[in-house]
Amino acid sequence: MDALSVENLCVKVSGRHLIENVTFSVEKGAIVAIIGPNGAGKTTLLKAILGLIPYDVGTISIFGRPLKNNNSGINVGYVPQRLEFDRTVPLTVSELLDFTVPPVYSFPFYRSREKKEYVNSLLALVGVQHLAERAIGSLSGGELQRVMIAKAIVNDPQVLFLDEPASGVDIEGQEKFYDLVTRLNKEKGLTVILISHDLNVVYRFADKVLCMNRRLICTGKPREALTDEVIKSVYGEMMGGYMHSCHEHDH
Amino acid sequence: MSTIIDLLSYPFMQRALLAAVMVGILCPFIGNFVVMRKMAFFSSAISHSAFAGIALGALLGIDFSFSSVALSILIALFIAFLAERTTLSHDTIIGIAFSGIIAAGMLIMGFLKGYRAALFSYLFGDILAVNRSDLLLIFAVSAMTIVITLTFLKAFLQITFYRDLAKVEGINVRLFEYLMFLIIALVVTVSLKIVGIILVTSMLIIPAAAAKNLASSMRGLFSLSCAFGVISGVTGLIGSFYLNTASGPTIVLVSIGIFFLTMLRPAKS
Repeated sequence: MDALSVENLCVKVSGRHLIENVTFSVEKGAIVAIIGPNGAGKTTLLKAILGLIPYDVGTISIFGRPLKNNNSGINVGYVPQRLEFDRTVPLTVSELLDFTVPPVYSFPFYRSREKKEYVNSLLALVGVQHLAERAIGSLSGGELQRVMIAKAIVNDPQVLFLDEPASGVDIEGQEKFYDLVTRLNKEKGLTVILISHDLNVVYRFADKVLCMNRRLICTGKPREALTDEVIKSVYGEMMGGYMHSCHEHDH
Repeated sequence: MSTIIDLLSYPFMQRALLAAVMVGILCPFIGNFVVMRKMAFFSSAISHSAFAGIALGALLGIDFSFSSVALSILIALFIAFLAERTTLSHDTIIGIAFSGIIAAGMLIMGFLKGYRAALFSYLFGDILAVNRSDLLLIFAVSAMTIVITLTFLKAFLQITFYRDLAKVEGINVRLFEYLMFLIIALVVTVSLKIVGIILVTSMLIIPAAAAKNLASSMRGLFSLSCAFGVISGVTGLIGSFYLNTASGPTIVLVSIGIFFLTMLRPAKS
């Protein structure tokens, strides 16, 4: 069974088509990268799947279960593109994770030993156990993204959605981040769907690529699907050359 | 000069102290959300709606508590409804509701005949005039709102942290946002008699803002803000008795004093 199946998806906002007739499927346990130029509808696609914006036409199913413009009952993790939150709010890393541990409707400041151990194990898994008592607002971009991954996997999701998760993180931080995502994918069998602008990331970490510009342009294994012609048609002449250098660098 | 023991022997003072403690816990507890979600203007609009509600109650001859709570809740829901259906910013919508409700309140007052002392007592509050039924109402609302907020605190805090993430995690964001609007409306309305319409927002935001200056965790924020609220309420009340000043403004000035003291702490990194 496919982890995610999207058929003929159309999203229209204020009379303007942001996504037109997009159809694709994602196998369980795959890492899939969605690429495309700015304004191609990548984030819109992710938000439609997650139930954050309504869609007009089409069907979306997660593990065979159709979603109808909402995501109630599906167990997915999400790390958004830009985490805009009030950095002055005195919220610690362990509190943020505590608040995510189910049940949602329980006394929040009581930490049982099991809950504490579970939160610590999650922080250890993403390599930020030492940050447990730090305020969220004081974390660096790389540290915050790791904490957000820990938060996204609190409920042991089946699919993890990452929207340009490493943007604003330095090169070393990006490497560590994608290594972590790959490890979670291998160890937990987590299906990962990520948006990236970085073709290096796509070649190195993705099993499959979806290239879109409002419509789906191509899909397949990155080295097979991302031909010079495809890259040029999506990104323009400049990126065609860039793609060559990515290939050569990678080899 | 009366000692504290003498002071506490007066039934009106006992009631006033109880009210100060309850409102000192209730307002900052809910005020933490007002501060974190930048809703100070909203709470001001609600307190002024309560004023129009009181004027309406006087005109129709119905209980002030009922008319002020009802109109405040109605305005809170109206603001939430408009915010969902327009692209206007929240402060613009609140500004529209705020001016509309003040204008309506003033119009209603124009229809009232005779001296309107009761109305003006709500403008500045009078904690020393709190009676048994006021205390019961404050207790009931405090117990109910604190229990509801604690039960759903994880959901409220997730929404406060990042709305979209809360939605993806299956939290009914719309329902909880309406619930928070209702809770703020209730808390503002029952606190009016203590500090008055003009100053009620300060009881919501000043202890919470002072606690935010010091706290390094959510647990710390909630504990400190309630402690500052109680200290402000009790110290302000007793201080007003000895200084022969109005209780509401004295309570607020004590809380501002605490706020400035917390500002002495070096900025958090």
